Amino acid sequence: MAANVLVWCIWVIAAFACLASAVAVVSFRNPFFSALALIGNLASLAVLYLLLGGEFVAAAQVLVYGGAVMVMFLFVIAYLGDRTEEAPWAGGPSWQAVGTVLAAGAILVEVIVAIGLTTGGELTHEHHIARSFGSPEHIGRLFLTDHLLAFEVTSIVLLVAAVGGVVLGHHARANEADARA
Amino acid sequence: MSHPAETWWIALPEAFIVINLVMVAFAYTTWLERKALGRMQLRYGPNRAGPFGLLQPIADLIKLVRKEAFAPASVVEIPYIAAPVVSCATALLAFSVIPFGPGWKVSHYYINGSVVNVPISLILIFALGSIGIYGFIVGGWSSDSKYSLLGSMRTCAQLVSYEVSLALSVLGVVMMGRSLNLANIVDKQQTTVWFFLPQFVGLCVFMLGGIAETSRPPFDLPEADTELVAGYHTEYSGMRWGLFQTAEYINMIVLSGLMVTLFFDGWHFPWVHSLDKLGPLWFVLKLAILVNIFIWLRASQPRLRYDQLMRFGWKVLLPVATVNAVVTAALVVWV
Repeated sequence: MAANVLVWCIWVIAAFACLASAVAVVSFRNPFFSALALIGNLASLAVLYLLLGGEFVAAAQVLVYGGAVMVMFLFVIAYLGDRTEEAPWAGGPSWQAVGTVLAAGAILVEVIVAIGLTTGGELTHEHHIARSFGSPEHIGRLFLTDHLLAFEVTSIVLLVAAVGGVVLGHHARANEADARA
Repeated sequence: MSHPAETWWIALPEAFIVINLVMVAFAYTTWLERKALGRMQLRYGPNRAGPFGLLQPIADLIKLVRKEAFAPASVVEIPYIAAPVVSCATALLAFSVIPFGPGWKVSHYYINGSVVNVPISLILIFALGSIGIYGFIVGGWSSDSKYSLLGSMRTCAQLVSYEVSLALSVLGVVMMGRSLNLANIVDKQQTTVWFFLPQFVGLCVFMLGGIAETSRPPFDLPEADTELVAGYHTEYSGMRWGLFQTAEYINMIVLSGLMVTLFFDGWHFPWVHSLDKLGPLWFVLKLAILVNIFIWLRASQPRLRYDQLMRFGWKVLLPVATVNAVVTAALVVWV
């Protein structure tokens, strides 16, 4: 019982941190703070995964998205972005912003109600989940058997993106050289 | 191996004691380093505070805590203050999953051999390390100084580059140990062989990558004092600077602990199993040897140039680590 209360408390904190940081990502003026808020968002998502028993997914989320990917974001922003003098929360919210938040809130409530109606109380039942759920072995097996094609295709997509980056960078440098000549 | 669960009122004091022991280990690592560096450079090192300068770390602590935490007027306040805290906290957290003993049974209560024992402890250490990088980047950025920013950019590039090789170098151990849990890896070495023999290449890559990850000389480009004053912590003073230093040294201790666990059979005493009860002692001895090697390298090797560092990381370390992982995978599957 006490454990359930603890899980519930952590869920509330993580869920609100997730929402608050997501709002912060789009509302901060300074991109550096937006990137930091995105890290917070990814980290609180990892906590939610942890509560669902996905330890490996949570750690991978922090390691890959929270760590490697966001470091690159911060690197570029810190190196090239201009340092705005104003505080990140400067400038009060506009009417459009308030309207957007209200509309988003209404849609969220609608989605929750819809899910609640269609599942019809099934969500309160505790389903039995195998001990191996979310373990590295389990996920690895799924990746290399049932989802092998999707897994490999994703890596090709990433490769294409990397090649595209190289080509774009090469063009930019070639144009620069032309301009100088 | 499944152990009985540890009750929370044992786990909490255990965590408290371990975290303080790690801090003491950090303090005396700084003493050891200054003493050893001094001797290798034909001078005495600290010798004023207490016998052999043994009270020097305590004196340093008192000085740093009492010093004014001075900050330039143009810093971005909140990240500037939070950055050293994040670095230090993640460094300390990472130690929590390293097993330092076999686990003990006192009457009918069980005391764990590590602060926490999770199935994915190895990934957890890497995840915490990747969060710890933010402390260095954010600290350098929010200081509003060219030297700090350049230092944090270098940290960022270096740590990202070497993290790849570091993660690849432990893959061989993971495949041989058939687990991501550090306690299981230690047990596996007990039944087979210490992994530094079959994974010697992995150990070399891990050692070199580890020195780069902790920004220790000869890979201390992020704070190259001849070029960048002090790198990302140029604008820090007092205990905020102290926290950055703490983070660096504790990262080194965690890395050495990880090396002991992955390659040198953790807390086991070689051959004589009856001595395994004293696990923490053997763990600390092995740790001390590795920390000494780190210090020795600092005293004897000149700093690399930046392009050399990057070339070494991507063109030497990464291919070697990849080949090592592939060959180990083939051997594990077919032999």
